[in-house]
Order: sequence, then structure tokens, then C-alpha cells
Amino acid sequence: MKMLLEVRDVKKTYRMGKVLVPALRGVSFDVKEGEFLTIFGPSGSGKSTLLHLMGCLDRPDEGEILIDGENVLKLSDDKLAELRLTKIGFVFQFFNLLPRLTALQNVELPLTIAGVPEKEAREKAEKTLKLVGLEARMNHRPFELSGGEQQRVAIARALINDPKIVLADEPTGNLDTKTGWEIVQLMKRLNEEKGQTFIVVTHDPHIAETAHRIVHLKDGVVEGIKEAPRGNRK
Amino acid sequence: MRTKKIFTIAWENLTQRKLRTSLTTLGVVIGITAIIGIASLGEGFRFEIKERMQQGFELDVLIVIPGSFTAALRQPFTPEEVESVRNVSGVKLVAPLITLPQAKINTTDGKKVNALTVGAVNFSEITQMISERFIPMDGEIPDDNENDTIVLGYKASFLNETTQVNVNENVTMQITIKTPPYTLTINKTLRVAAILEKSGTPGITNFDYWAFIPLNTAIELLGEEAYNIILVKVSDVEQSEQVAKDIENVFDNPYSISILVPIAFMNQVDRILNIVQIFLIAIASISLLVAGVGIMNIMTVSVMERTREIGILKAIGAKSRTVLVMFLAEALLIGIIGGLIGILTGYGISFGLAYALSSFIQPQQETGLQSPETQSIAISPIFSPQWTIIAFIFAIAICIIFGLYPARKAAKLNPVEALRYE
Repeated sequence: MKMLLEVRDVKKTYRMGKVLVPALRGVSFDVKEGEFLTIFGPSGSGKSTLLHLMGCLDRPDEGEILIDGENVLKLSDDKLAELRLTKIGFVFQFFNLLPRLTALQNVELPLTIAGVPEKEAREKAEKTLKLVGLEARMNHRPFELSGGEQQRVAIARALINDPKIVLADEPTGNLDTKTGWEIVQLMKRLNEEKGQTFIVVTHDPHIAETAHRIVHLKDGVVEGIKEAPRGNRK
Repeated sequence: MRTKKIFTIAWENLTQRKLRTSLTTLGVVIGITAIIGIASLGEGFRFEIKERMQQGFELDVLIVIPGSFTAALRQPFTPEEVESVRNVSGVKLVAPLITLPQAKINTTDGKKVNALTVGAVNFSEITQMISERFIPMDGEIPDDNENDTIVLGYKASFLNETTQVNVNENVTMQITIKTPPYTLTINKTLRVAAILEKSGTPGITNFDYWAFIPLNTAIELLGEEAYNIILVKVSDVEQSEQVAKDIENVFDNPYSISILVPIAFMNQVDRILNIVQIFLIAIASISLLVAGVGIMNIMTVSVMERTREIGILKAIGAKSRTVLVMFLAEALLIGIIGGLIGILTGYGISFGLAYALSSFIQPQQETGLQSPETQSIAISPIFSPQWTIIAFIFAIAICIIFGLYPARKAAKLNPVEALRYE
């Protein structure tokens, strides 16, 4: 299987005031195309930092990240933005929807940024919202939606540009167990149906276990990579 | 992102915060109102002054006098000199004048006539020269060959507050000619042929206090033909200064004569008023700068409040430039709206102010001799497309310049940090 994303000895240190905090201390692993991968570890292990680096929101201090064989370190800020727009979708723990926009408008947003004509964007957003089962709540604003519904909107927004990779940062962290599980099932289904690669950061072992592979992260290094336990290997 | 969409989003963001947006816009409105108000009132004022000066001076009439401030008085003009002035190209008409300042005019019963200066003219020439002022109110302007007549200016015809000299009444003019060691006093009886209409506005060619006698009578009395003033009408007002120069060159010593060119004087006054107007507008512009600081302030706050939103936009693929343009679009909209409203209120206020001012300055009642020299100044503001465009562009420029800093601040935000911002 083709390697979609390669992380090579990535290091990242944060500066908190005067103190330097090493978040990642040399992380390497690969992600295959179409894979459902979880990055599992306790809080402070550097999971979110790693996700941000893979999502081109930030640049590593050292090491390389290759997406589709292209070293993202060498790209300009504008190119990175374009990469985020076309190849990557983000799902956040706190949903990060724009409160003033309706569910539909939130989902449309990446298409709006890309300059897709309004009508086309609208149709595609409706279709994507249907895919996550929210066709009835399209014109509601985020505060009128439950946490699970908001996260579905966020997933729809992440999918709207047909990205190759969907990155989810603790997508269930702000939801109750049942709803969280539903969200995971939704992502699993999308992964299977559409073949998109999902990388999910979690500290919940049950959710981690649903993946094809689990990358164990601790104190900024990979402790181990585990193949799927319950026959959910691809 | 599409331009139309950017403005739609900017508009939505602005209308979401109505109070804040309207207060910020108000700053721009006040600045533009001040600029437009001053500009249109200033234009109106300039126009009014110009009008008045045009009434005060016959703009196409040059006044040539012998002597100057720097050189000693020269001899009055000879008939030959008058003739050569007449031949200068661009000269349409010439009317030479002899003044008799020493002349005293009395009625037959010995009352003093109020004429300050007596001028001897060719009546047909002076009528053509200042046709708008040389209009008889009573009687008729005598023919050139009617000697021993006199035409009185409006105010010169008053003996006192209420009594006026009558037309066809005889008056006595007494002139004293000093040719040392002799002093010769001549008395001449003249018929009042006409009394002129009031000249109206003051000015150099206001002859309300003058009396005019035929040239021939004066030459006969004085025994010489020596002119003290030459009035010159030019064919083209714009060429006034060139014609004046050409007239100077007619004389052996150009510096021995002085020429008053009304258009040059008026242009000078207009330039000064223009400078005053621009100065006032510059002061008014300060209020627009203050509005700009207000925009910068509110946008900086807005960027801080929307840090997370900016982070989201960037995370889902918005370029820094897109974020920059989104914020600038908001500033631009404030500029456009504030500018448009300011232009309307500016003109509104200037018309209101002009109306209020004109009702304050009521024209005074005119009574005979003591009638006021000036009429009330009623300024009506003038719509100036030029100032309107300048003010509008200025409003937009200020908004963009002051919006640039916060917009750049927003564009430069690191997405990871912006997303973490609470």
C-alpha cells in the first residue's frame, strides 16, 4: 500500500515564557492511504502537537513530514494553506464552528475560501451534511445543536473538499461516551465508504482500539505501534 | 475567495455588531461632514466674494494713472499719449478723464453740493465704458456737444439728508487755478442735466460721490488738455495683464505710470481665499484622522475577539492574504458608508448653516445719504464635485490605512496559537 504520510524524526519544542518545553523528541512513523490510524497517549504526550504538524498548521523544528511524497517543510505559508484547503480536513475537540454561521454555512466555508461558486458550494454542503445525518438541522446555528450534532457538522466541514487525510484531535473529548462512540462509528463508516485516511488523536483506549493501527505516544516519543487487535485491520 | 463573497462576509460581520459599527462609522461621518461643510461653504463664500468684486470693479476696465508710489508724480497724460494707448492691441475702448479736485459746486442759493470729485469726461465714451453704472435716474445724459452741463452721482446730488438737487436746476462750479504768483478763480454756471442711479456696490468705479462735466467745458476752463485718468476697456478680460503690459510700453518710462488691473487683483483675492479654505479643510481633516484611530482601535479589539475564528479560517485553508483582505474589506465598507453619509450630512449641514446665517444678517434699511455701502452677504453653499470626490477618496484611504495594522495583525496570527486562544 502506498504511503500517504511519512513522519521522519520530527522534533518540536515549545517556548512557555522562558522555559523550553520539548513536545516531540524525534517521532517517526508512516500512514498508509485509506488507513484509520489512532495516536494514543496520555495528555501532554505531544499528540496534538504531532497532529498540528501533520496538518501543516505548524512546522517542526527538525525532521521531515512528507505528504504524498512532498516535503511540506519546503513549502511556503501560502502553499501550506492551499494544502490544508485541498488535502487535509480538520476535526477538533471543541468543534470550532463559527458561531454566527448556520450548520450549512459552516460546512460551506472551505468551499467559499476556495472560491467555489455559491450554488455549487451550497449543493455540495447539503449533500455532505446528509452524509453525516444532519440534513434536518442544516439551518441551525451551532448553539442550537447538541455536541454530537456540532461534531457532525465539523466532520462534514472537514470532508467537504474531499481531502485525502482527515485529522481529528480528540473528537470525542467533549462528548458523552455514547455520542462519542457514534462519532467514532461515523468516522469509521466514512473511512470505509469513501476510503479517506483518518488520523484520530485520543486518550481513550476504547476509541484507540477501533483503529487499524495505534501509535502509542508518550513524552514526545513513539513507544510502539500496534496493529489492530480485533480484526479491524484493513 | 471571491470578492463578492468577501464583502458579503465583511458586511455580515459589521451588521452583527451594529452599535460598534455605527459608532466607528460615526467618526468617519463627522470627519467627512466637517470637510464637505467647510468646502461647500468655502466655495460659496468665494463665489459670493467674486460676484461682489465683479460688481465693484468692471473687470474689463483697466485704470491708468500717471505716476506711481515709487516714482514721483509725472505730468498728466497728453492727448497724444491717450491716442497711443487707444492704439494698443486688445484695447476696445478708451475714456480719458480730467479731474478737477479743486472744484466746488454750489446751488444758486449758495448751498454746497455734496460732490467730492469733479471729473470731466466725454459722456458718450464714459457711458460705453461703464454702461452698467452710468445710468441716469433722472434727466438725460447730455450729448458730447452740449457744453455747460453737469451730471451728478447719486450721493453727490444730495444737499443734506433729505434734499436733492433738481434736474435742470443751475449750479455754480468754482475752480481755483494757481499759477504763482497769480491765483485765478473762475465761476461757471452749469445746468444739471442728469442724476445717476446709485452705483450699488462699492468699488473703484463707484462714482456715487462724483460730478461729471463735459470735457470741452473743462478744457475751456483750464486752458489745457491734460488727462489724470485713462479708463481702458479690454476686448478680452483674460488678456488684461498682457494689455496692461503693452500699455506700459507705450510710455517712454513705463514705471512713471500705474495701471490697476482688476482681474489680477481679483485673482489674488481668490487665491488667498483658496488658501484659507484649504487651511480650514486641513483642520477639519484632523477629525477624520481621529476617526481613523478609532477604526484602528476597534478593529484591533475585533481581531483579538476573533482570534479563534481567524485560527479556524486558517486551519481550514484560508491564506494570510485572505484573512487580511477580509478585515480590510470591513474597514473599506466603513469608509464607503461613512463617506457617503458624511457627504450627505455635510451638504445638509452647510445648507442649514447658510440659512441660519443669512437670517441672522438681515439687510439694513437704506436711507438717502447714510445708506450702507455694503449689502448683507448671503452665502449659499456650492456643491463641488471635486471636493466631494476628494473627501470620499480621503475617507476610504483613511479607513484602509488605519485598518491595515489590525488586518495585518490578524493575517499574521499563527493558526495553532489562534486555535488555542480562549
